Amino acid sequence: MKVVTGVVGNDIHVVANRLIEISLKERGFEVFNLGVNTYLEEFVDAVIETDADVLLISSLNGEAEGWCRDLLFFKQKFDLKGVTFAIGGNLGVGETNAQEIIPKYKAYGFDLVFHQVDLNEGLDSLENYLKKIKR
Amino acid sequence: MSLLQREREAIVRNEYVDDFDFDEIEEFVKNADKRLFISHKYRHKTHLLAQPRGGFPTYEKMFELYREFQKVDTDVFPLTIDSHTRLNDYASAKKMLLLSEENEVDMLNGYPLINHGYRTTREMITHFNTPISLRHGTPDARLLVEMALASGIFEIEGGPITYLLPYSKNFPLDKAFLYWKYVEKICAKYSTLNEPINRESFGALTATMVHPAITIVIQLAEMLLSMEEGVKSFSVSFAQSGSLNQDIVTSNVIKALSRKYADKFGYKDTMINLVFHQWMGAFPYNKEFSATLIDMSTFIALLVGADKIITKTKEEALGIPTKEANAAAVANTKYMIRVLQGLPKIKDEEEEEILTEEVESIMEAIFNDPADTLWRKVLNSIKKGIIDVPFSPHIINNNEVITVRDPSNAIRIIQRGNLPISDRCFEYEKSKLKVGKDKKEVVDKIIKDIGIMQ
Repeated sequence: MKVVTGVVGNDIHVVANRLIEISLKERGFEVFNLGVNTYLEEFVDAVIETDADVLLISSLNGEAEGWCRDLLFFKQKFDLKGVTFAIGGNLGVGETNAQEIIPKYKAYGFDLVFHQVDLNEGLDSLENYLKKIKR
Repeated sequence: MSLLQREREAIVRNEYVDDFDFDEIEEFVKNADKRLFISHKYRHKTHLLAQPRGGFPTYEKMFELYREFQKVDTDVFPLTIDSHTRLNDYASAKKMLLLSEENEVDMLNGYPLINHGYRTTREMITHFNTPISLRHGTPDARLLVEMALASGIFEIEGGPITYLLPYSKNFPLDKAFLYWKYVEKICAKYSTLNEPINRESFGALTATMVHPAITIVIQLAEMLLSMEEGVKSFSVSFAQSGSLNQDIVTSNVIKALSRKYADKFGYKDTMINLVFHQWMGAFPYNKEFSATLIDMSTFIALLVGADKIITKTKEEALGIPTKEANAAAVANTKYMIRVLQGLPKIKDEEEEEILTEEVESIMEAIFNDPADTLWRKVLNSIKKGIIDVPFSPHIINNNEVITVRDPSNAIRIIQRGNLPISDRCFEYEKSKLKVGKDKKEVVDKIIKDIGIMQ
């Protein structure tokens, strides 16, 4: 399975990004890592170009919301039906709780939302989800 | 007019720069007080030199910071440049400087040297008469370095690799090498007028799990690129790794090999200094723990016989320190330097032999690249992954090398990517590790290893 991943917006948090790449490869995914400071359009371009199954966006500095609002627009504009959209990291600025944040991102068009979830735990859920939709 | 001089005229013709008087600047450097030159200080020093970090937007706050540093007899002052200037965005720096001046709030994370100009900055620098080190992170530092030298700043940190791979995602490598070649050339040119201008590499790199073989190779490459242009005084550097023994091994190998390679290439008349960075990774939030960590760093710098130490403050985890906190950190470091005398010389022959072989294999692979010039050889080596910096955000970096800590906290290579190290060395590295084959376990270990001091 092909995964496009990277850090969205003006966010240079490279450490988590590298660890996600290593972990995804270990789990058998073919990884296209766009790295830090990536815009939503670039992610969508890469998904189309690579014919990816999953787009996994991460964000550490909390500014992802501003960058991801246009996801629905892209989903309408392009045929991205077979693609699973996931986002994880630190998804809000300041004191935040998952109950408020998760529905917000789901409304933007994400299938899976991981707010302050451990890396391996998040990737386990991603794999389970992919197995489920395959069936 | 020479090609270089024509290029210089073009560089300084900039809407944010007042008239640049090359003749006057040359006169100034020629007659500048020896005390402004760190190369002079290195040659006559009797103890480890201490240098803090720091930079504020306004002239007044910068002046006050220096006054605070002077009170504690700081050996070398820093001039840290703000992030807009680092990206050559002088318009934003100007706007933020005006806002900082009007509202007495710091709107920049450093001193916007281009906007202040060399005439003003020189007044401050000659007032304190202490060597200043330029700290920035700029891939295109041509104008910045012209301005620094004109101001009386006679040490320039950075280099085409160390100021690019840790800081930038997509700045073109070839441009970085050529822009730094310009910097080396003007440093060399000014070095003939008075004492030498000192160039310093930034060996801390990403400060995240970088194996010493990679650090040393990059130090040697930047040193040779600098000396090739005529620089006579160069500082190699590295940061505390988290393992005392590994730091000792690194220092012994980097000292021996930097001299060896400089001599081999015919740069026998050059001075090479060793700089040690206090812990550059994530700091504990507990200030007492931070203070202990900093003391340990100073102890290591003394043990490894460094020439200069660059200090941190115990407020590191909390943001930019106040001038008082910064000066207090220097005072503590200087106290430790004064009371700790006559430390033993430690050697670990097996480790030194392995590290030396690793560095020499990588250097050989760089030299064997078919390109015609050293900078192209180094550039190609980065592209090929012969030089591979863990956790670099740059798109050209290979990202195939994976490192973890062994039970003594030394950083070891668990996946070598395209690093051309021998099977013997690689087996040695792996033999030290106590981590399973399962990558999930490795990833969890790396996360712990990065946060080792927290």
